[in-house]
Amino acid sequence: MARVELQITRRNFLKTAFAGGGGMALAGREIGRAVANGLTKLGTPPAWFHQGEIKTTYNYCDMCPWKCGIVVQTVGDRVRKIDGNPLDPKSRGMLCARGQGGVSFVYDPDRLRAPMVRTGERGAGKFQEITWNDAFDQIAEKLQAVAAQYGPESVAILGHTTGDFWFTDYFAQAWGTPNAGKPSATLCTSPRDEAALLTTGVAIGGHEPMDWDAMRCIVLMGSHIGEDTRNTVMQDFMNAWGNGAKVIVIDPRFSSAAAKADYWLPIKPGTDTALLLAWINVLIAENLYNREYVEQWTEGFEQLAAHVQEFTPEWAAAITELDPELIRTTARVIAEAAPAAAIMPGRHTTWYGNDTQRMRAAYIINTLAGAWGNEGGLYFNKSPYLEAYPHPPFAITGSAGGCSAEPGAETAELPAGPSGKIRADGARTKFLRGATAIQELIEPMITGEPYPIKALIVYGVNLLNSIPNPERTLEALKKLDLVVVIDVLPQEHVAWADYVLPEASYLERYDELSAVAYKTPFIQVREPAIAPMYDTKPGWWMARELGMRVGLEKYFAWETIEEYLNTRLMSIGSNLEKMHEAKGVVIQKGKPYLADFNGASPFGTPSGKIQLFSDELAVAKLGGLPEYEPTAEPPEGYFRLTYGRQPVHTFAKTQNTPVLNEITPENEVWINEDVANGLGIRHGDRVWLENEAGTRTGPVKVKSTQRIRPDLVFLAHGFGSVAPGLSRANGKGASDARLMSQYKLDPISGGAGMRINFVRLVKEA
Amino acid sequence: MATYAFLLDLARCIGCQACVVACKTGNELPLGTKYITISERTQGTFPNLQGGFQNHRCYHCTDASCVAVCPTGALFKEDGLTRMDRAKCSGCTYCVDACPFGVPVMVDGISTKCDACTAVVKAGGQPWCVKTCPSHALMYGERDQILAEAQARVESIKARYPNAQVYGEKEAGGLGVVVVLPDSPEVVDLPVDPQPKLLVTGWQKAVQPLTLGLTSLSVIVTGIAAVIARRNHMQELKTLHQAETAGSEKAGEE
Ligand code: SF4
Ligand code: SF4
Repeated sequence: MARVELQITRRNFLKTAFAGGGGMALAGREIGRAVANGLTKLGTPPAWFHQGEIKTTYNYCDMCPWKCGIVVQTVGDRVRKIDGNPLDPKSRGMLCARGQGGVSFVYDPDRLRAPMVRTGERGAGKFQEITWNDAFDQIAEKLQAVAAQYGPESVAILGHTTGDFWFTDYFAQAWGTPNAGKPSATLCTSPRDEAALLTTGVAIGGHEPMDWDAMRCIVLMGSHIGEDTRNTVMQDFMNAWGNGAKVIVIDPRFSSAAAKADYWLPIKPGTDTALLLAWINVLIAENLYNREYVEQWTEGFEQLAAHVQEFTPEWAAAITELDPELIRTTARVIAEAAPAAAIMPGRHTTWYGNDTQRMRAAYIINTLAGAWGNEGGLYFNKSPYLEAYPHPPFAITGSAGGCSAEPGAETAELPAGPSGKIRADGARTKFLRGATAIQELIEPMITGEPYPIKALIVYGVNLLNSIPNPERTLEALKKLDLVVVIDVLPQEHVAWADYVLPEASYLERYDELSAVAYKTPFIQVREPAIAPMYDTKPGWWMARELGMRVGLEKYFAWETIEEYLNTRLMSIGSNLEKMHEAKGVVIQKGKPYLADFNGASPFGTPSGKIQLFSDELAVAKLGGLPEYEPTAEPPEGYFRLTYGRQPVHTFAKTQNTPVLNEITPENEVWINEDVANGLGIRHGDRVWLENEAGTRTGPVKVKSTQRIRPDLVFLAHGFGSVAPGLSRANGKGASDARLMSQYKLDPISGGAGMRINFVRLVKEA
Repeated sequence: MATYAFLLDLARCIGCQACVVACKTGNELPLGTKYITISERTQGTFPNLQGGFQNHRCYHCTDASCVAVCPTGALFKEDGLTRMDRAKCSGCTYCVDACPFGVPVMVDGISTKCDACTAVVKAGGQPWCVKTCPSHALMYGERDQILAEAQARVESIKARYPNAQVYGEKEAGGLGVVVVLPDSPEVVDLPVDPQPKLLVTGWQKAVQPLTLGLTSLSVIVTGIAAVIARRNHMQELKTLHQAETAGSEKAGEE
């Protein structure tokens, strides 16, 4: 890397030296800079796109799990620029800050470079390099030992981001463990997904099916678009805003989106369901709902109407601390725009442990507005047609879940592994339904109940910064027989691995095809722009190498990844070459509206109707209709801890990426200015955050602002990692995850409600 | 010949910083250098708030103070934009002092600022920031068209922002970044009537002809001259400042 850098500089040096005086001194400085930051330099060289032949490859972004289609430009053996793919339905030629920073992620000098085996205590971070061969031989032996003693179900596989398929889906099913989990399910979307399946029988899917182009009213409940910088969502939201759609934002914080809103509802945290019930009350009481739609497509309206009678705006106002007239007005604004109006399903919906019911209330409003399947409301996603690679039947069939997973059909009996055990996460006992609850897989590692989990493979999940109660996770890590971590960077949890397997980044590998359920279903390809750097390998290769050593050869019949991909692509009359010619993306036809179903019901509920009243929940005694449940209030001197996104980082993944770290190296704790003044804390001070259990994180800068209610503080998620290998991110800012000593399990979806922790600010000594 | 300009719609900007990073990666700027800075703005008190972002960058003034004071021709006007030949910069910092918007900064002794993606645009592309902006807050094109677009956008947002206005039509001879402002310029710390921070007129008359002559000499001489000029410059400034404040009320601030 350094060699290439200096060559380029050298060429410029010569060029500028001939060009005349001024350049010479500059070139000298450039060499200094190039060495100093190892990344880029500023000077007078020709722009990178004039420095040699440009090689273009197509790919999908991995800087967050949204997967925008990208065009990658490489000169020589160095990636120079990433842009949005103009043909891709999700990027349309644009990218967010993180996507733009991908080059910097790939050339982060802190990357893991070679496979390693632990030499010290677990967690001490002492490793020595090992060959890939030896690493896989040893891992295979240990996996088989666990399987022999406890059964294959005792291996848990956790994965996140775009390559997780190979481990949480493919390898897990071939191996035979039902304990494969993704944080994108029960730490994020499970409540909104299960609510949708219970109510409409139609999955939300990875991409909230907002029919933005024709929308006349958009309701955001905590969705903070602009800070949550999912590229497509920003584009669509601002276009709809520009087209004059009314925007209603429910948020205790004056977010970037709230600043664009026509109506901002600074709600008391934890009371959203009360507001939603009052909206339902107004829509019914004032006869503002879509009667025809309700008659044709729903059941349970009478019960709903009787249920909400008492939930007047005045009732809700006392709970939410909102003006009752504002509640009435906004209900009418929604009704006026209906059916081109919807409450956005949103991401991260695991808040207070009663989240599926809150989401059901939101979907009931979407139903009363007639939004599902109508233009400008919520369209129906369709998955692209693409066949799987042919393989023998898996040892266990089941989806690890996650927001982009196909919903597994919920059967009464959960699938069991080869030794007869079902998921260890308490599905069907601790919670009703849905994808694997990743946080509930930690307990069996400690207690051995319902059966022990003894080995753990972690692909791209930042264990200690995503799963609440990280202290418990550490306890669990100490008890395991085997911990394998696959990652690109030495994240905090990497120190706890027995084996560290460094992955080649998304620009250095082929990968599974990305098949996106969307209004216009589409398929994206990932082509490597450069060869894997250092001694890193693609995830698919690792899964296969491991599979070949544990008797799963028959599932990995393909010799090369190209063969695997070409076989799948054949089912749509394509191959890698054609995909390249098509500029990386193939778009198919969708079926977005009710009208596309010719009178048949698109709703997947047993009756084919939207269940305003849920029979399944009523039978399970979990409430056929949503109710408001108060959540505990912060004790004296404490604030509710809320958290969310800020624009340039993804989870705890990108804080070390040089160009993104430069822009936002640390997070700030938002606190109401008047409250801060009362505490003698000023904007820019540094404080520690301490929860009720006495756990501390920080010090973190104070953002003293009018933009937040007095009863909470807000942190951007993902900072405060303790990971010495991350030279830029280590110890910067405060970790919200560390402060989540507790969470509340949603009895319906298994979601971990995380907004029930309280913190106080302690001035830096 | 056509002049070009950017549209910067601050009513639309959602502060996502995509432009900042696209600019940095597209122009391969070193760590620590950026041409765009996004900062949050808030007015009012909870819960009666308004807010948005300032998207601070080079405004490509028609009457560009930086160009006026640049003794070496490193900064120059072309196609209506303020471009830069960094190889010519002597490091005198005059431009840093002169810019009414505080845009140029010194990086390793060389003045640095947005050059409107000269190479990209000349190769037929769009400036990096414009190309990536997910909210369509940025556009680039012929200045007439950009101005018309800005006016149309202001009209279209009047219901939401009664004080919406176009900034940059006439300011500093007309800016190469036409800004759609949701409110008055002060809200985003833009000067209502941008004036050069230094006394550009006086400076041009008195000193520039002298130093411009030096640029034909070799780099060493220029270097020395720059050091001397820098020293002299501070002196001259003081003198000029005194002279001009005596004669006029409208002096460059600071
Ligand atoms: S939203 Fe941004 S980070 Fe996520 S995939 Fe798109 S460009 Fe990449
Ligand atoms: S990319 Fe567009 S929306 Fe994002 S900060 Fe820049 S101007 Fe604003």
